Amino acid sequence: MKNEKGTIVLAGGVIGLIAAILVFFGNPANMGFCIACFLRDTTGALGLHSAAAVQYIRPEIIGLVLGACIISLAKKEFRPRGGSAPVTRFTLGAFVMIGCLMFLGCPFRMILRLAGGDGNALFGLVGFVAGILTGTVFLKKGYTLKRSYKMPKLEGGIYPAFQIVMLLLLVVAPAFIHFTEPEGGPGAKHAAIIIALVAGIIVGILAQRTRLCMVGGIRDAVLFKEYKLLFGFVAILVTALVMNLILGAVTGTSYFNPGFAGQPIAHTDGLWNALGMYLAGFGCILLGGCPLRQLILAGEGNTDSAVTVLGLMAGAAFAHNFGLASSGEGPTANGKIAVIIGIVVVAVIAAVNSMRKEEA
Amino acid sequence: MITYIATFYSHYGAIQFRRNCQAMNLRAEVMPVPRDLSSSCGTCVRFHTEADFPEKTEEVEQIVRVEPQGYVGIYHADEE
Repeated sequence: MKNEKGTIVLAGGVIGLIAAILVFFGNPANMGFCIACFLRDTTGALGLHSAAAVQYIRPEIIGLVLGACIISLAKKEFRPRGGSAPVTRFTLGAFVMIGCLMFLGCPFRMILRLAGGDGNALFGLVGFVAGILTGTVFLKKGYTLKRSYKMPKLEGGIYPAFQIVMLLLLVVAPAFIHFTEPEGGPGAKHAAIIIALVAGIIVGILAQRTRLCMVGGIRDAVLFKEYKLLFGFVAILVTALVMNLILGAVTGTSYFNPGFAGQPIAHTDGLWNALGMYLAGFGCILLGGCPLRQLILAGEGNTDSAVTVLGLMAGAAFAHNFGLASSGEGPTANGKIAVIIGIVVVAVIAAVNSMRKEEA
Repeated sequence: MITYIATFYSHYGAIQFRRNCQAMNLRAEVMPVPRDLSSSCGTCVRFHTEADFPEKTEEVEQIVRVEPQGYVGIYHADEE
């Protein structure tokens, strides 16, 4: 890749464009993509939680994994590996999801919420950066979940294959899965399956080629003064914002509504928006990547990331089964307790896995 | 002086290797892995040496020599 920065900015631009267009085609507002929300919806569609408003197998997730898988196979970068602290990763994944559902979005949707004018996402961004900064302190102290090992092709292929099963369930056997009733909530709002799937595949390919990662962007900027990955997300923000303005002008329905109150699928509790994303940022840096990046790595055959995604899904099930997820009305008491527990657990995982540095 | 890049299975492996380089008075810096070298997004160490470099640890994934025309692989753990 001759001009890596240019490629990343271009890819980010295309991704921002696609994200805005997905809303035009039916996705919930400011939710062209949201890895946390979409995994949560998929978890609900499988009946692993029973929040009727958020149940739908999101083809974007299927596309992201398959896109990354196809391009990594084509480029001989499909390299099955795993064995690096899977249970710890599962646990971190679950708490990252709980943090995301406190805020109501993953780092990717945080950017899209900003592009839609949602000022509450600024509090999320502050918390997210603080979480990453906390995590980098442990990285510098020698934090590690130990190395991964080469795995058989089958092991690496199971998670991508699982996505094909999900697609078959959605297209061929919808009677087996749960759907949000029309007008019944965010789960009912979605672009046509083929549009969502193709969008996911394109973004999956771009993200695999560029290693786009929100957490990685801020981490590299802090640790190495290397801003390439961060530019990718700035590009997403800028193009999604411009596209929102264009869509608003063309359709007469505003896609950009600056303010705090009444934002779509968002609440105005600044403290808990920040703490939710603090937990997500802190957890993600210990995992080595944001939820989007975990999906892409899972598509490349990384089973540690596949386990992390399963952890994210388990976190979504917990969040909705125990009333931890926020709603437009705000956070719940249970959710606040869970986020605090999450921050403590993530801090303990960070500290315990940083103690081996003296062995070096 | 020859420049090498070593990639690792973990960020910690990179920090540890850089420390070992510095113990041998080699100039070494940690940085993000170049995309051409790997699809993973970890940390690598670029180091400069006339001849010797530190013993490979279990954490070392690959070592390449940096040439004007590109990277020349000299070690890859999975291929051992």
